[in-house]
Amino acid sequence: MTRESTHCFAADLGGTKLAAAMADARGQIVAELTEPTDPRGGAHVAEQIAASAGKLARTVGIEATQLRHVMVGVPGAIDPLTRRVSLTPNITGLQDFDVLDYLRSRFGPGVEIENDVNLAMLGEQALGCARQCRNAAFLALGTGAGLGLLIDGKLFHGARGSAGEIADLPIGRDPTSQAAATSGTFELEVGSLAIVDRYRRQGGATGVTVRDIFRLLEEGDEVAAAVLDTTARWVALAVATLQSLLDLELIVFGGSIGVRAELYERVRRALPALFSRPITIAPSELGDRAGLIGAVCAAAQALRQNREPAESALQLP
Amino acid sequence: MPSQPLASVTRQLSRRSVFEALLHRSPISRADLAKVTGLSKQTTSEVIDAFQQQGLVRPVGRTSGNVGRTAVLYELSPAGGHVLGIDLGARLTVTLADIAGRVLAEADEPTDSRGGAWALEQIARLADRLARDNHTHPSRIRSIVLATPGVVNPRSGAIEMAPNISGLGHLNVVGFLSEKLGSPVAIENDINLALLGEIWHGCAQKVANVAFLALGTGVGLGLYVNGQLVRGENGAAGEIGYLPIGGDPLQAEARLQGCLEYQVGAHGIVRRYREAGGSDVDSARRVFELAQAGDTVAASVIEETARLTGLAAATIVATVDPQLIVLGGSVGARTDFADKVARVLLRLAPRPVEIRTSTLGKRAGVVGALSVALNKLHDELFGVADLAAALPLPPPRAHASR
Repeated sequence: MTRESTHCFAADLGGTKLAAAMADARGQIVAELTEPTDPRGGAHVAEQIAASAGKLARTVGIEATQLRHVMVGVPGAIDPLTRRVSLTPNITGLQDFDVLDYLRSRFGPGVEIENDVNLAMLGEQALGCARQCRNAAFLALGTGAGLGLLIDGKLFHGARGSAGEIADLPIGRDPTSQAAATSGTFELEVGSLAIVDRYRRQGGATGVTVRDIFRLLEEGDEVAAAVLDTTARWVALAVATLQSLLDLELIVFGGSIGVRAELYERVRRALPALFSRPITIAPSELGDRAGLIGAVCAAAQALRQNREPAESALQLP
Repeated sequence: MPSQPLASVTRQLSRRSVFEALLHRSPISRADLAKVTGLSKQTTSEVIDAFQQQGLVRPVGRTSGNVGRTAVLYELSPAGGHVLGIDLGARLTVTLADIAGRVLAEADEPTDSRGGAWALEQIARLADRLARDNHTHPSRIRSIVLATPGVVNPRSGAIEMAPNISGLGHLNVVGFLSEKLGSPVAIENDINLALLGEIWHGCAQKVANVAFLALGTGVGLGLYVNGQLVRGENGAAGEIGYLPIGGDPLQAEARLQGCLEYQVGAHGIVRRYREAGGSDVDSARRVFELAQAGDTVAASVIEETARLTGLAAATIVATVDPQLIVLGGSVGARTDFADKVARVLLRLAPRPVEIRTSTLGKRAGVVGALSVALNKLHDELFGVADLAAALPLPPPRAHASR
């Protein structure tokens, strides 16, 4: 038996970068790193996560093997029974490799994985703009579209771990098309590829990125404005949909596109016409660190609960 | 922290487990009760004696066929307390059940069209009649749950947005009925209760994540996730009549009534049939009949209704990922319609989800109301501080005839 650990490890795995942090039981981050995600995917990425824990542990002067509480955010749906990750178009080989099993073989049973957008929701609830919220959503808009849901104070995963897979919302031009079946109807309208494509189709220049489109908007480009208007209308329809289903207190906008004021202000303006009751939306306070901070909070909580077991509930005789 | 002394908590726990065993295993002997609960024979006997004095249990015969002495068998006594489930819609249904969940009597009649206080008076009258017909005093009714359309505000208990019953919005329904009926009354949205009814007695038993999609005069959704109803921040979760599906959500009627409900609600089906050149029909049911009889206009209106409902179902799947979708309501519960919706959903959702039609039909709401009323009564009698979990209800029993 190694010594009881005093630190926990958290990571947020994205398609392009891996962010990792070491924190104490209060959730205070003591060391942190960011590096590009290993493009070879699968097992290499899992090893990279373990290696980053080793690097951070050394900077604090502890052994990585002492880390008992690990939370890793992954960009995909997690099956509640098998704990396997699916729907991860951004990282190759992650569906076929059992990340959780590998990490548990390195760090023990205290390793958990969680959908990255769910962790972003937790981060905003703990330290961001959703403090005190019991019914809220984190809407991530970037390369793709995802949703983390907080229902009655708890993260909500759904029957097969794919609650919040809103890329598949039937909000878009043709929900029965082949393309919609592959990428998801809603993602086909609001994902970064869709925005770039829309800009080209409406007569804008080719070869621009979403970032370019936001810059062009600032320079007074009318096509860019029209493209964002259209995108915001689709997003507003999704927001009205979420509100009518779940009656949320707050919908947090995150992701590289979601946090842009040029987008969420357009969504906010479109909402009153679509929905008769008020809907509160706000940009993520934690930005691209929301997922990592959520993972740190979850790992630190597990560490605290392990060290100071909660008073046991009364058991039925 | 519990303020009771430990001995008292232990006694409560013993009473609770004996009651639970009686609920699920009646008729049962003292010896078997002790075996099932793990309590000592002496404790079990003390609890049974106390229950008998309170009128909660009664002997119902003796064991037979075994070698040696026979033992007395016990069951929960119908006189142990009653509950009332009420479903207030276009019709009013009131059901009386005993503490074990056995339905004793049910009454059903059109709701007083004057609405408001008249409808509440009607509830009190029916409840009184059911109690007297069953030779019980209304005061033996100890827990009442009312199913109502509209949004029930979880904090104030007020009913908001109940367009189909006039004059309810500004009444203190809970206060009025509690006073009239002499016991605590709880209100819950009728679709949420229909969902709980299907989970207790219907087609959604033992399913942890269920969506109940009701299509009839109105359109609504009940969501049950991880063993709990989803009510939302203001009790308005599941108000899917307002989903922006099926037309221009900015159009005036769609905004007022809700875009989806404007199209797929019963009035929407009739309106679209007329607009498409159909004859002057008065009900959605008639449009279904005409479609079956070969009316192509009616058939295409039904197809479109199924397509829009399928879009709503796909929306639910992408957002909350249920294990099962139950279709209910006068339109939704039709199996021919549900088959069409299932086919649409298969084309739209990457992960197929099972669709079933409500097996309780019009009674789903009142059965769900009974289940909640029973949970509340059991909790009142046997709840233990800091042990919030509701006692599981007994399995379905045959509906007693009137």
